[in-house]
Amino acid sequence: MKTNPNPNNNENPSDNDIKNLYSEHRFEHRIDHGLCLIWHELERGNTQADPIKEKMIEAIDTRVFDELTRSGLILEENNLLEFTETGKTIAADIVRRRRLAERLFEDVLEIPKGEVESRANEFEHLIDRHVEESICILLGHPRECPHGFAIPPGKCCADKEDQLESIVASLDHFEPGESGRVTYIITRNHPQLHKLMSLGIVPGTLIHVHQVYPSFVIKVEETQLALEQKVAENIYLRRL
Amino acid sequence: MKECHIADNPLPDNQSSIILAGNPNVGKSVIFQHLTGHYVTVSNYPGTTVDITTGTMEVGGKSYQVIDTPGTLSLIPRSEDERVTRDVIMSHIPWCIIQVGDCKNPRRTLDLTLQLLEMGHPLILVLNMGDEAQERGIIPNPKALSEILRIPVIPTVAVTGQGIPALKKLLVNPYVPCTSCFYSPDIEQAIKNISSLLPETLASKRRISVKLLSGDASVKSLFPDVFTQSLSLNIDQIVDALQEHYSRPLDLILMEERLEHVESLTNKTWTFPHHKTTTWNDTLSRWTLHPFWGMVTALMVLYLMYLFVGSFAAGTLVDFFENTLFGKYITPFVTYWVKHLVPGEFIQQLLVGEYGLFTMAITYALGLILPIVTAFFLFFGILEDSGYLPRLAVTMDRIFRKMGLNGKAVLPMVLGLGCDTMATLTTRILETKKERVITTILLTLAIPCSAQLGVILGMLGGISGWGTLIWLFILISSMILVGYLSSRILPGENSSFILEIPPFRMPQISNLLIKTLVRLEWYLKEAVPMFALATFLLFILHWFGILENIERLSEPLVSSLLGLPKETAEAFLIGFLRRDYGAAGLYNIAQKGLMTHKQILVSLVTITLFVPCVAQFLVNIKERGLKAALYISLFVLIFAFMAGGLLNLLLTWLPIPL
Repeated sequence: MKTNPNPNNNENPSDNDIKNLYSEHRFEHRIDHGLCLIWHELERGNTQADPIKEKMIEAIDTRVFDELTRSGLILEENNLLEFTETGKTIAADIVRRRRLAERLFEDVLEIPKGEVESRANEFEHLIDRHVEESICILLGHPRECPHGFAIPPGKCCADKEDQLESIVASLDHFEPGESGRVTYIITRNHPQLHKLMSLGIVPGTLIHVHQVYPSFVIKVEETQLALEQKVAENIYLRRL
Repeated sequence: MKECHIADNPLPDNQSSIILAGNPNVGKSVIFQHLTGHYVTVSNYPGTTVDITTGTMEVGGKSYQVIDTPGTLSLIPRSEDERVTRDVIMSHIPWCIIQVGDCKNPRRTLDLTLQLLEMGHPLILVLNMGDEAQERGIIPNPKALSEILRIPVIPTVAVTGQGIPALKKLLVNPYVPCTSCFYSPDIEQAIKNISSLLPETLASKRRISVKLLSGDASVKSLFPDVFTQSLSLNIDQIVDALQEHYSRPLDLILMEERLEHVESLTNKTWTFPHHKTTTWNDTLSRWTLHPFWGMVTALMVLYLMYLFVGSFAAGTLVDFFENTLFGKYITPFVTYWVKHLVPGEFIQQLLVGEYGLFTMAITYALGLILPIVTAFFLFFGILEDSGYLPRLAVTMDRIFRKMGLNGKAVLPMVLGLGCDTMATLTTRILETKKERVITTILLTLAIPCSAQLGVILGMLGGISGWGTLIWLFILISSMILVGYLSSRILPGENSSFILEIPPFRMPQISNLLIKTLVRLEWYLKEAVPMFALATFLLFILHWFGILENIERLSEPLVSSLLGLPKETAEAFLIGFLRRDYGAAGLYNIAQKGLMTHKQILVSLVTITLFVPCVAQFLVNIKERGLKAALYISLFVLIFAFMAGGLLNLLLTWLPIPL
């Protein structure tokens, strides 16, 4: 994972609206950024408080760590860092919005890879709960950000009663006869991913769904493949 | 991406092997056959050529060893057979590598081509199945491809031999291709840095560097002398430094960049049709994969197999061979001459007595087993070559999942109905150790081989339909129960089910016949000596009166637990050597009218579940290790007697008309 960009980079002088918004909520943004950073360290198993503190000083400023502690969002015990109940809820929410934004930019808006992260940081602050749900449904309740880290699930993911037609959905949501282009494959199971890729299932590949039961039968190029449900859940396609 | 200089250096003339490589199911084995004139199993099921097949061919007056490797998608292996391919390719310095690719699937083909190019060995790309591609309107441009990749590219239709002479001509003078550098500059730099650390003597330094960058440490074990601790440390530093630049694992980045390159290559050199045409093949394919009709097809295929193998071969053919040919002509003839020509009762009895090598072993092997096994292998060959097996795998996937396996285990399981020993060898196509162990257990326990099946079905035919149903029910439920339990108990992972389904193809008669002959040859070599040995043992035991003692000793087990006549102990005893032979023993006892219907059923259930034959036991040791093989056999033995005993009890209590 690249280190989170310095918030100063986010102050895009050409975009006045964002700049104004940004300065208004400057304090909040630093807190958000701090929570995101801690979340990311903790999800990778780095729970030592000191290195995290150092990273925060480098990426944000010297005060934010103390502010987080004072607000009762994080706890430090025996040099081990963890979220409080409230802290965890708030952090999950922010991380979720940021990562959803990254997915939206990369899969649907097709913004160049290099720009996705910084733009997502700006965008996350503009999304309210309702918009967040719509994006999540649109993207087929994605489970991972483009970097392969988990997106904390929201209420809409548990309900799965979608009012909107999603643009991107995992293969197991497709019906026989439908087609889609691969947008991404969840990367947690490495050997499986390799196998899929060497069979030609990579971002951009056109997939025709022939059958969904008892196994998923799809056509990639001139090859017919059978996949089990669990594999199909990891392949996200953009509907055609 | 940058072009690099061309290096057409002819190789020193000391390499004498030609390696065939390619994706699964592209006709490699047929090309092999064309080159060597020798036969190997050509199959439609991905990964059937598990063992490496070698042959020789003459090129320019010199003899070369041709090595046929198991089909692989990438040089980063995932299953044991892919590992075999990787090891062969990485550890040989060949005269030439021939990559066989499917014209219809350029991306998969080219992905492997790029990986093979990195080896730095002479490479020829064969674009096979030109006929099938043309049918679908997919047209490659071999000339353009050859110019870009700077390697010879030959279109072929292997089944008709088209393009083979051109391929043979090219083998005379292969040359080292230029290395194409298509990764991002920082990755290319890292590859160069690692390569420079590797000793000059190492072949395919670029490939090894790429593999190390991909985190495939297993190459180190291929060259243990080279990778000292300090070298490994230096390499790790380069890898880690590069990984810093990327948020995702390097192997994925490398693969993505390679596939991007493949995509641009494909677009430059292949033409695809604008409109898809639906062929009869597609329609048939849909049917056999359909949740309902697929099941119906599977049952129909099994029924056909029963009609052909169980009814026609085991009934009509065996009747002719055993009773007419051997019973009326050959056996009396041989017996007559042996009695007249061979002195001494001992030798006479050894040859043509009750437990005679000729009257028992040879008659049994050729008169009874040969017709059944031939019919089975013929039928199985058709299933394999037509491409039906992967479809059966899709249909059976959900059922097999209950047993901790997935659809892929269909191949060893169905082959097990022919010969469990051969089937145990093919468990190598399964991806995880756990799946291989479970399949071995199930093959040992619940899958009767065709020889055994022939005898058993013959006996079941003599009792009521209920008997067959109960027998089948016990077999299937034992299989599911044991599979389910072992999937819970055994440690390890299950692999995910991703299976290629090739198009239906008309099996070629010549191919089918040769394949059946090769399998029969293998089978007879395994079986006949075993029959002879078993008969000899029985003869000795009988001659010295030991057999009666054993029968008496095992009486509590056989008579009390299973409720069978004491003569059956003899059948179970030879069952240790071969189950089918044991079943044949039961058959004889039943024919003499010594068993009731209930006893026949109990004895059949027990002998079906009984210990593996010696050949399978040896293969179990070879594949799973001595300890595991012993445990499996012990478990199966206990399970078989328990099941038989339980059935005996139940049948005593329940009024089932048999």
